[in-house]
Amino acid sequence: MTHFNWLLDGSIVGLYLLITMIAGLWVRKYVGKVEHFLVAGREMDIYLGIASLAATEFGIVTCMYTAQNGYNHGFAGATPGILMAAAMLIIGLTGFCIKPLRDSGVMTLPELIEKKFGPRIRWASGVVIVLGGLLNMGVFLRVGGEFLVLVAGMDPQYLELMMTIMLVGVAVYTILGGMLSVLVTDFLQFVVMSLGLIVVTILILVNVGWDKLVTTVELNIGAGGFNPFINAELGWGFVIFQALINTAAVLTWQTTIARVLAAKDTDTGQKIYTRTSFFFVARFLIPGIWGIAALATLGKVTNSLEAMPMFLATFVPVGVMGLLIAAMLAADMSTDSSYMLTWGSVIYNDILAPFHKGKWPEKKGLLVNRFIVAIIGVFLLIYGLWYKLEGGLWDYLTLTGTIYLASISVLLIAGCYWDRANSWGAAAAIVVSAAIPVAYLVMEKTDAARAFAKSIGPYYSGIAAFAGAGLAMVIGSLLKPNSNKETSV
Amino acid sequence: MTSHWFWFALTMICVVWYLTVTVYVAIKGAADIKGMLARLSANYEQNDE
Repeated sequence: MTHFNWLLDGSIVGLYLLITMIAGLWVRKYVGKVEHFLVAGREMDIYLGIASLAATEFGIVTCMYTAQNGYNHGFAGATPGILMAAAMLIIGLTGFCIKPLRDSGVMTLPELIEKKFGPRIRWASGVVIVLGGLLNMGVFLRVGGEFLVLVAGMDPQYLELMMTIMLVGVAVYTILGGMLSVLVTDFLQFVVMSLGLIVVTILILVNVGWDKLVTTVELNIGAGGFNPFINAELGWGFVIFQALINTAAVLTWQTTIARVLAAKDTDTGQKIYTRTSFFFVARFLIPGIWGIAALATLGKVTNSLEAMPMFLATFVPVGVMGLLIAAMLAADMSTDSSYMLTWGSVIYNDILAPFHKGKWPEKKGLLVNRFIVAIIGVFLLIYGLWYKLEGGLWDYLTLTGTIYLASISVLLIAGCYWDRANSWGAAAAIVVSAAIPVAYLVMEKTDAARAFAKSIGPYYSGIAAFAGAGLAMVIGSLLKPNSNKETSV
Repeated sequence: MTSHWFWFALTMICVVWYLTVTVYVAIKGAADIKGMLARLSANYEQNDE
């Protein structure tokens, strides 16, 4: 029986939704140009950037997979967060790749890639970015809906309805206000989400207790629950893959890099990175503790993804439940809106570039951008209803993300720092890094090849994509003589 | 508690850091929004002229 009280908790959630919608719709009057819609006129400052980046990179889906990691792997499940924080801190301090990226004044990554590798590679990179990104975010709605239905104790038949309502709410202000609405609502969502996360975590630490959490991990997972290297299901392959994918995400993940591109200058972009970096430890560790608390309280359940919301439904008291659901809605809305907008920006700016050639009037550009965001919303709904998730959620997300993270990070690094890199190497890197994860996903869904896919596992498949992309870039570039047209970014 | 001091310390730092940052960013971020919207309004007025 859930502790959700429709009068008290429902009012808290309703008030939050009302304020968010008003704020999101209010700033639409400042959107007059495509640049306002996609990168907020490049007027974003440090603290708004921190709030927006943190809110965007924490959705219900994040909470679910990090809690699942905690439930299945104990504290070791938080390793990706530590690796991502380290990558973001180092890249923020050094400006590695993000400095030349922001200095170039581009609106998307493929736009920068064109300067080094030409328009065809820009188009191809736009396609893989959108393919990887949309497959990745395709599961967000369903996972978010499942969390809300479980925590609020609703009938599962309302899952699809819940998904649709969430999507429509987010789509309305994103379509009208673009990045400006995303930033303002992200700020509100950051505050609400953070309060919810902190209050629930303190409740768990006080009521479940640290000793019980540690004992649960020791009894159920053993020493591998504290050390990923000796965890039977994780190990070196997991840690190396996480280091690669999280570094690539910091460099090229569209929603992350959008904050650097929307920053008012390069220095601000770097500061947003350094000052947000530690958030990524919290992003994995806090829900990870919720997952461990679920294991301590419920024991083993059939579906580990549902353990955390099932635990919270009866653990969080009335009143705080409203804050928790508002926090999770805030987390999800900020993620969905930003994902729809930033992937839409690549479709408009790069995939449609051969059609508009940067010459469409601002009004037409805005209309097309809004239409693209709406189409992405429809895709999310259909994909979310259709796709059945196999295996761990985090594994699915990292694998689909690898489709573009491996190649685009290689293109970005080579484009910024290797003079001999050229379009042959870039094309080879894109093909290789997309082929490996797609082949793995297909094998995982095919009866005849499922056992083989399982023997490789998602971590070594992901490492192979990164290694293959790097190798393809080097071999492809060395095979082709240097062209005068291809110069350093 | 002492046998897993790393995770205990990291958890405590996370909670304290997150609480502090939330309050700080809530205050400074609101000022950033005000400044951003003011600059965008000023740009519109300049373009109108």
